[in-house]
Amino acid sequence: MSPGSRPWSGVQRSMSNWAKIRVATVFLLPAVLSVILLRLWPALLAIHTSLLAPRAISYSLENYIYIFTDPVFLNSVRVTLVFALIVNPLQVAIALGLAILMNNKLPMTGLWRSAVLLPVAIPQSVSAVIWAAAYRPDGLFNSLLQAVGIGPQRFVTSPDQALASIILVVSWIGVGYWMTMLMAGLQDIPKSLYEAATIDGANAWQRFRYVTLPQLRRPLTFVLVADTVANFLVFAPVSILTKGGPQGSTDLIMNQIYTNAFVNGDPGSAAAATVVLILLVLAIVLVQFRLMSDRSER
Amino acid sequence: MLMKNSGLLAGVAAVFLMSTAGAVWAEQVTINFLTAEADGGFDAAIDQFEKDNPNIKVNFETVPFDSMVPTIEARIGAHDSSIDVFLVDTPRVSAMANSGYLLKINEEKDAVKGVANEAGLSVLMYGGDLYALPLWTSTQMMYYNKNLFDKAGVPYPSSEEMKRMTYEETIELAKKVMAGSGAKYGFSLEQIDRYYQLQPIFEGNGGGSGLKDDGNLTPDVSNAKWVEAGKFYASLFEKGLAPRGIASDQMPSTFTNGDTVFYVSGPWRLQPFTETEGLHFGVAPVPYWAGGKPQTPTGSWAVSLNPYAAHLEEAKKFAEYITLNAKGVGLVLQGIPNIPVNKDAYGPYVDWLASQNPQIAGDIKKVMTYELANTAVPRPSSIGYVAFETVMNKAFSDIRNGAEVEATLQQAQQQLESQMRRIK
Repeated sequence: MSPGSRPWSGVQRSMSNWAKIRVATVFLLPAVLSVILLRLWPALLAIHTSLLAPRAISYSLENYIYIFTDPVFLNSVRVTLVFALIVNPLQVAIALGLAILMNNKLPMTGLWRSAVLLPVAIPQSVSAVIWAAAYRPDGLFNSLLQAVGIGPQRFVTSPDQALASIILVVSWIGVGYWMTMLMAGLQDIPKSLYEAATIDGANAWQRFRYVTLPQLRRPLTFVLVADTVANFLVFAPVSILTKGGPQGSTDLIMNQIYTNAFVNGDPGSAAAATVVLILLVLAIVLVQFRLMSDRSER
Repeated sequence: MLMKNSGLLAGVAAVFLMSTAGAVWAEQVTINFLTAEADGGFDAAIDQFEKDNPNIKVNFETVPFDSMVPTIEARIGAHDSSIDVFLVDTPRVSAMANSGYLLKINEEKDAVKGVANEAGLSVLMYGGDLYALPLWTSTQMMYYNKNLFDKAGVPYPSSEEMKRMTYEETIELAKKVMAGSGAKYGFSLEQIDRYYQLQPIFEGNGGGSGLKDDGNLTPDVSNAKWVEAGKFYASLFEKGLAPRGIASDQMPSTFTNGDTVFYVSGPWRLQPFTETEGLHFGVAPVPYWAGGKPQTPTGSWAVSLNPYAAHLEEAKKFAEYITLNAKGVGLVLQGIPNIPVNKDAYGPYVDWLASQNPQIAGDIKKVMTYELANTAVPRPSSIGYVAFETVMNKAFSDIRNGAEVEATLQQAQQQLESQMRRIK
C-alpha cells in the first residue's frame, strides 16, 4: 500500500466490481439462457441420440458406422460439398457486384435495390413452388428458351441440370440479402480514401483492389461465413423441387437428415448426420475465418 | 355506505359471473383433427357433430399429402398432445403402431366387424390388435378423353371386364389416337411416381409386391419381372406417352386440358372432370399384363387416435362418428366422395356417384364395383412400409427421369436391405 492511500479504497473498488458483475449477469442472462436452451441443449441432445442405435440402451458408434457405410449418405456429403463450393463464391461475388452497382448513383436506384431484395421477403417454400412452375417442361423457362431458338431443357428432372437449377433458386432468394449487408459496408468506406487513391493515379480496378476490398474485409467475412452456414442448411427448395433427386444429384445432407428423421423414423442416423453436418460447417467456417483474418491484427 | 355496498355487490356479481363463465369454458373441449384433405371436406360432418355434442369443438387441420407422415413423426413422435385424432394411410398402420404413434382400440373390434369385411379389418390391425377405424377405401379407373377419340375417328374402349385391354393394347390404341388427334400424351397415371398406382404394373407382372417373407421385411425389387415392368414404365416417358417434370398434384390438368388420351386415377376425379367445361370422358378398367391377373390399387385413409392426445374421450367420439355412424359417414361422403369402407354406405354411395355423371353412370358403377370386389390388391403390410415406399418412390421418380432401370432398382434393393436391417 502506498503511503497516503486510504485503507478502504480497495474494498470499495471490489464492491463496485461485484455490482458490475451482478448487472452484467442480469443483462447477459436472457442471451446466455437462449444459447443454452436453443443451441447447446439441442446439440447435446443430437449427440446423445446419435450415439443410441435403434432399440439400444447403451451408447455406441453404430449410427455413425451405418451412415458412413451408406452410399446414399456418402453421396449427400459429396453433393453438399460440391454445392457449397459453387454456391458460396457465386453468391458472394454476385452480391458484391450488385452492391457496387447499386452503390453508384444509378437512375431509380431505390427501385432496383427493392427489386433485388424483394425475394428475401418471400418464404423459401413459396419461391420454390413458383420456380417449380417455371421449370416445368411446358413452363416459363422453356417458353423463353424456345422464343430465342433453344430447345426445351429438363431442368429439375435432369441429373445434370438439377443442382444448377437449385443453385439458381437459392441465389435468387439469397443474393439481395447479402447485397444489402455489403452495401452498408461500402457506404462506410471514407470517400477521402478514394480521393487519395485517385490523386495517386489509381485506376478503377486499383481503387477496387486496394481500397474497396480491404475496407470491406469485415462485412465480407460476415457475409461469407453467414452465407456458407445458410447454404449448408438449404432444405425447402430441395424438398419441394427435387426431393433430393434425380438420382441423388440434389440430395443435400439436410434432405437426408429430414428423410431419415421424419419419413423413415430413424432418429439415430438423422442425429448422427446432424453431428457430421455441424462438424463440417464448423471446419469450413474456421478455415474461412483464418483466410479472411487480417494478418496485421494478429 | 350504499355506494360501498353496491360496489361490493358488483364485485361479488363479477366474481360469480367470471367463475360460472370459467366453468362453462372449462367444459368446452376443442379437439384437433389432422388430415391431408382440402379445407371444407369434412365441414358437413364436423358441423353436425358439433351440433350433437355442443361441448366439443373440432378444429380441422390440413397438411400436404407428402407432409402427413413427417408431421405425425415429428409431432406425435415428440408426444405432442395437440393432435387428438388424425388420418392414417392403411399400409402405414403397422409401422406407425410399431412406433407407438397409434392408440390401441381393441374395444372397437366388434363395431368395426359390423361395418367392414375381413380384408377391410385386416389392414387396420397390427400384431392382432386394432389401431385404426375404417374410413375410405379406393380403386382406380382408366379415364379416356372422348373428344380425342372422336377427332381420331377411333371407337371408344369398352367398360366391360371381359374386354379389359392389356398394357400393350392400351399403348397401341393410345398411339393411334395420338396420331389421329394430335394429343400430347397417350397413357398417364395420376400418382405417376408413387408405389400406390405403380403396384399393379410391377406386382401385376408377376414379380411380387416388392416385400416378402415373414413380416414383409425382405425387399425384392430387382428381380427380372420388376426390371421388365420398370422398362415398360421407363418407356412411357422415353416415348413421350407420359410427361416428365410434372408433379403428381399437377397431373390432373394434363387430362382436363385435353392433352392426354388415357389417364388412370381414382373416383375422386369424377366430379372435377365432370365440372370441366368441354371435357367429354369415359371410363374403362385399368389395363393388365397379357398372361397375368388384373390388379388394381386399393386402401386409403383410416382414422387413428394419438396415444398422447389431450382429449382422448372426445376424440374417440368424433372418430366413431365419422367412421362407424351411418349419418356421420354419409356427411363425410358429401364433402369427399371417396369410397366408404362401411358396407351399408357403399350401395347408396355408388348410386349417388353414378347419378352425378348420368351419361356414363352404368360404366362407373360396373367398373368400380367389379374392381373393388375382384381385383383389389392392398399394399404390403409391414413395419418397414414407410421406408419401402420412400425408397421406391424415389427410384420410380429416377426411372421416370431417365435413369437406367436395372441399376436403379438394384440400388433401391441395396438401400432397402440396409434400412430393413435397422428396422428388424
